[in-house]
Amino acid sequence: MGRTTEILKDGIKVHFIKTDVYKTDLSCVILTVPLKRETVTKNALIPFILRRGTAIFPNQYLLNKEMENMYGSEFNCGIDKMGDNLIIKFYIESINNGYVLNNENILNMNISNVLDIAFNPVLENGLFKKGYFETEKETLRKVINSKIDDKDSYAYDQCINAMYGDNGFGLYKYGYEEDLDSITLEDLTEQYNTLIQNSKIDIFISGKVNEEETKKYLLENENIKKLKPRTENYILNNQYTESKQNVENTKEIFQSMNITQGKLVIGLDVCSNDENVNMVAQVYNAILGGSANSFMFQNVREKASLAYTARSNFVKQKLNIFIRCGIQIENFEKAYELTKLQIENIKNGKITDEDIENAKTFLIASIGNIEEEQDTEVVYYIGQEISKTNITPKEYIEKIKSVSREDVINLANNININTMYFLKN
Amino acid sequence: MQTIENNKIKERVYVEKLDNGLTIMAFPKKTKKKYIIWSTNFGSIDNKFYYNGESDVTIVPDGIAHYLEHKLFEQENGTNSLDTLTTIGVDANAFTTNDHTAYLFECTENFDEALVEFMNYVQNPYFTDENVEKERGIIEQEIMMYDDSPEWVLYMNLMKAMYKDNEINIDVAGTVETISDIDKDKLYKIYNAFYRPENMVLVVCGDFNQEEIINKLKSMVTMEGGKFSTKRVYNKEQEEIVEKYTEQSMDISMPLLMIGYKDNNFSDSKIKRELGMALLENLLFNKSSKLFENLYENGKIISEPGFDYEFSKNYAHALIQIKTNFIDDVTEEIKNYIENVKNDGISEEDFERAKRGIYGDLVKEYNEVSTIATNLVQDYFLGVEPFDCFEEFSSITKEYVENLLKEVFVENKKVVSVIKPI
Repeated sequence: MGRTTEILKDGIKVHFIKTDVYKTDLSCVILTVPLKRETVTKNALIPFILRRGTAIFPNQYLLNKEMENMYGSEFNCGIDKMGDNLIIKFYIESINNGYVLNNENILNMNISNVLDIAFNPVLENGLFKKGYFETEKETLRKVINSKIDDKDSYAYDQCINAMYGDNGFGLYKYGYEEDLDSITLEDLTEQYNTLIQNSKIDIFISGKVNEEETKKYLLENENIKKLKPRTENYILNNQYTESKQNVENTKEIFQSMNITQGKLVIGLDVCSNDENVNMVAQVYNAILGGSANSFMFQNVREKASLAYTARSNFVKQKLNIFIRCGIQIENFEKAYELTKLQIENIKNGKITDEDIENAKTFLIASIGNIEEEQDTEVVYYIGQEISKTNITPKEYIEKIKSVSREDVINLANNININTMYFLKN
Repeated sequence: MQTIENNKIKERVYVEKLDNGLTIMAFPKKTKKKYIIWSTNFGSIDNKFYYNGESDVTIVPDGIAHYLEHKLFEQENGTNSLDTLTTIGVDANAFTTNDHTAYLFECTENFDEALVEFMNYVQNPYFTDENVEKERGIIEQEIMMYDDSPEWVLYMNLMKAMYKDNEINIDVAGTVETISDIDKDKLYKIYNAFYRPENMVLVVCGDFNQEEIINKLKSMVTMEGGKFSTKRVYNKEQEEIVEKYTEQSMDISMPLLMIGYKDNNFSDSKIKRELGMALLENLLFNKSSKLFENLYENGKIISEPGFDYEFSKNYAHALIQIKTNFIDDVTEEIKNYIENVKNDGISEEDFERAKRGIYGDLVKEYNEVSTIATNLVQDYFLGVEPFDCFEEFSSITKEYVENLLKEVFVENKKVVSVIKPI
């Protein structure tokens, strides 16, 4: 159990998560780069092109036939925001070698395939295949435009953008339509070459894996051989880098759409650079809106019957808490006031020891689940990797346990509403 | 106690039927996470019944099964079991489907303590005018959330166009209007009628000794069985569809298309049919298919079509879902493509590859305690024995799948639902 990390080359690591809980193995390649307005659209487009095929399986039909032959292995790629960084990930989930019907080593084949997808694309005269480039540009355009389709996540993204503008964490992870047209095939191929030679690379192998053999297998892989050592170039986010100023006035933003239910998102700043702020903020967030026992769930949903969803989440990289509710549009004032009251009540110490204990129990149980889900575990460790911390789930539990009621109330008095965003009709 | 095992995936499940009629299943799994689910065969389609031998039929408001699911957590001492379970540090939840309602929790710690609360709340309803009233606003917001979900509206519109009378065309949560009629007496009546041991199954999955856990659960079951008969009434559904096409506008970026085929064959083995459909999905619609290749290369779709085969005792249908700006072209291409495959048949090579893929998918179903337990519940209500899928799967031939395609994917049983941007 737990993670062991080996450095393959400077800036390129492999992490083994050895576990026999699952019938599946997960092989994952993650590239981390800073989020920037000028590169976000290009970087978002890259995985769309890479998923089209590899030098070995040069189109997606052949690649997917290979996946089916590997007993329904599932290949996927995606992008995520983690603080001010963009995470580009490629992963293959496959059944463990113990369940195959003809003794194949499908773990090794899948590792080789996922490395090919990330590092060995179909090239024509040193450039991405033109046809793929053209179609994927249009696909990305549609994906960018579809951000309005899920109203809940749209409202969340809009609130973040209002707080951070078109920088880092404020950017839309899929980029911007207006940037698409000017991207040329040459630009994009060049951006890709820069990306793979400069980004931080983390390879995760989770499952019934033999570390020694797999490390050897990786070092002999042609793709790994071709990658140069690099300096890890990404943005470190933590309580020392994210100093927040107390805002004088809350930004209030209203936007209209043709919808039935209103979406209220409130962005809070956690103004502290205390060593332990992440842990205290986790407890604070659990009390405010993290669980079914939270103030938001109990008072906005259960007592006032104003919402079905009433919750909050803590973004540790940026020291923000986002409260999110789906409410009847006419009830906006009532819900907003009641939400502000919950924040005030914690500030004024209107929390019991029981609230603190409940919040800790809830968090400890969630931490206990990290090692029970293969993808959750990978996400946990990449988060650790990027924040340059190395806390095992067990240590994490101990830190949560040590948070006191005073810690929470002190922090509550340094938490302020930055932005209120309401999506209405 | 009956033992059912499967050598391919090296797993076992233990089943015991209690004297009161309740079925308990224990699936040992060496994980830290434990999962328990207690489910009754009562869902949104069960809206008409003869209550305990009464001669008049009782008709309950749409959405009542789901309303009851929300309210079962209330306790007489004023506490709410969801809060209590959360306090213990377990992740508790409940859900309602067309044909069943389930209560569950999962945890890595404190299983025993949570179990006491769990076994108590499912068996002891406490409804008052006040606590029933309080929930109305919450459920209204849940309904309104779905009203803004384009995928959900697309699906419900298709159900209404496909089924004239079958209760599957009722929204699981009901509507703001239908739930306004729900009161505590109605909730008690359906609880008494359907939350009966012979109508329920209790499944536990995790690191347990099977005998110990089954005995423990047995000792906590207080419900009495027998001496009560409620007969459900379902509308008789016509074989034909209602409308070929349905359309609605919403604030979205790109049109959504769903094509459904009504399947009227209820005599075939359900599990075999489901696996046959999974193979057809693989062969006809996924990323290695010719259909995907053509539509994608021509810029008509941006992602793999979604495919689903939904079935219960009295309805079944196959659904294809696509995001596209070319509704008519794509509908036409799918039609022609299906006809071509019907005529040309499936190649031996493609069939074998699809089978390997589906075999891997079946193995993955036994990865996680939550998936294992919820699948056992679903299969139980459909009359499917645990692990039967592996047996049935090896018996499926290419001819069976080709016939299934010809039987289900027919034009006069087809319904098209579309959501267009405003």
